[in-house]
Amino acid sequence: MVGDQKSSGQADNLVRPIETRYALSGDVRIAYQVVGQGSFDLVFVPGFISNLDLHWEDEGYTRLLRRLSAFSRLILFDKRGTGLSDRVDVHHLPSLDTRMDDVRAVMDAAGSGRAALLGASEGAPMAMLFAATYPERTRALALYGGYAHFHKWVMPPDRLEAFIATAETAWGTGATLANFAPGRVDDTHFSTWWARFERLSASPTAAAALARMNADIDVRGVLAAISAPTLLIHRRNDVRVDPDASRFLARKIPNARLVETPGRDHPIWTGDVDRVADLIEEFLTGERAVGEAERVLAALLVTRIYDTARLGDRMWSERSEHFHETWRTLVGRHGGRCTDVHGEMMISRFDGPGRALRCAAALRDAAQQIGVASAQGAHVGEIELRGPPAGLTGRVTIQLAARAGRGEILASRLVADLAVGSGLHFADAGRVSIDELEEPMALVLAMSEQHLEPACRPKAKAAEPACLTARESEVVSLIADGKSNAAIAAELRLSGHTVKRHVANILLKLDLPSRAAAAAFSARQTGPDGP
Amino acid sequence: MLTKTQKVDGAAIKKAIEGRDGKMLSSFYADDALVRVIDRNNPPSKPREIRGRAAITTFWDDICSRAMTHKVDATIADGDSLAFTQACAYPDGTKVFAAAMLELKNGQIARQTVVQAWDE
Repeated sequence: MVGDQKSSGQADNLVRPIETRYALSGDVRIAYQVVGQGSFDLVFVPGFISNLDLHWEDEGYTRLLRRLSAFSRLILFDKRGTGLSDRVDVHHLPSLDTRMDDVRAVMDAAGSGRAALLGASEGAPMAMLFAATYPERTRALALYGGYAHFHKWVMPPDRLEAFIATAETAWGTGATLANFAPGRVDDTHFSTWWARFERLSASPTAAAALARMNADIDVRGVLAAISAPTLLIHRRNDVRVDPDASRFLARKIPNARLVETPGRDHPIWTGDVDRVADLIEEFLTGERAVGEAERVLAALLVTRIYDTARLGDRMWSERSEHFHETWRTLVGRHGGRCTDVHGEMMISRFDGPGRALRCAAALRDAAQQIGVASAQGAHVGEIELRGPPAGLTGRVTIQLAARAGRGEILASRLVADLAVGSGLHFADAGRVSIDELEEPMALVLAMSEQHLEPACRPKAKAAEPACLTARESEVVSLIADGKSNAAIAAELRLSGHTVKRHVANILLKLDLPSRAAAAAFSARQTGPDGP
Repeated sequence: MLTKTQKVDGAAIKKAIEGRDGKMLSSFYADDALVRVIDRNNPPSKPREIRGRAAITTFWDDICSRAMTHKVDATIADGDSLAFTQACAYPDGTKVFAAAMLELKNGQIARQTVVQAWDE
């Protein structure tokens, strides 16, 4: 399902039929595509697996390729054994030299005499080997999340076996996503794409064989022979490849410069794609990338349906549909725009934070009436005027929504600061580290008057301790002991945020106004069968 | 420098482009020349700009490193203005077509605007 404000540019990219051609490398056909017509050629050497057609179905991948092809003639290919290229005998895998020569074959077919190479992840050692072997054909080298020796910087042999075991048993389900982009595991739209990406890029046997083949990679011996100007980019908390890998390359490649960027997701088309594209463009063209001019300041609200597992499929589907319709109505009523939908994640934008939060409160109430629970995140920042908010502001807001508990509206402190005078109330929610941001972000919980003093709270059933979960009962006992949230968190080994959520849930379930009342309740209940 | 001896006209440009002679092409430009490229990825409100002879030399070196054919079809000259069309093909059959408008100053190219389209 897509939002109703889908930009024509993106839709165009999604359906744009890029012509796929085949280069002959020995007796193997290598599939390639050429995009753009910049004055110099840029060959993208992909990582572990790839599929030329599928790349254009992912927003981040499309964005990366569109950015790179705006200033170059971008040459894309699937390595032998992957994607649209010929399959290889998994019992007789080609050497890195043979695979590297596929780059030359593709360049010859595309008429590229000399090209800049962009090697990402496992594509980096291949690009380095090419640069050392064909210096006259290498204009420059950009290496993203690369390494020279697999076992030293990606995973030791024992972890490799565990990874291969996962790949062999669960290939095609998207199970490997957590190894590459943990920040996207909760993004159902992306994880579904990732599962297809696995299936359409390699068979399970081939995937395991490719993983073993990559494990043999060791190009440390050729680094000194690379003469092309080299840019190294590595995300500081990359979960797949240790950033030390690029620091080592920076020391060993004669003409290299390293830029470390925030973030932990490894694939080059995830995380802050624009930051990576900016660095590559500046490095290859010598000019700072011209920023997209059409950016505006906006308040984003991400609404998700909390706890999707408790209802049966049919009832779930009906309620979900009902809530989606209500979301459209309420967002419109509060002057916002529905910009995108990813499964149970709904993204809307507003001109100011006050409207976004009032809409969030209305959505929370509407969700309760429909019989689902909401969890929401709100943030303010620059977004692109056209298309869904795919940039950093959007991703941060999605992370806030993912952190929000049942019924909560979790917002950045910036939202509260801008909403001063609006009559809205906020409670401090500490600071948390957000992917891609250098500093931990200060958060608040938006509390509407209604939340504190419900005008028409449904009459709770007679409070019974039995309706509390075992964990909630533990928390109630500790409240009765007079312990603070922080002390309870320490004792139960939970985060302060989780304890706060438990307390809120307990008060809601027992229909009690305060911690003191919960303590009193606990004291009343305590007996042989007490909590 | 070749700029003193080689007159910039349609015939010279045709010979240099079709012969993929990057060095010759770069010599046609003034030191502070500006080349603007407009295409689907670089729209008229944000064309790609290549400024100065050094950048223009790299630009032509890159283009001439490609194993492709160029054919300059029509050249029109009018005082200090020069225009031509160019049909190009890569070995895999991909075609590019470009139309260029040039402004000359003191016998050198001061400003050039290229509009191009290609198979993709």
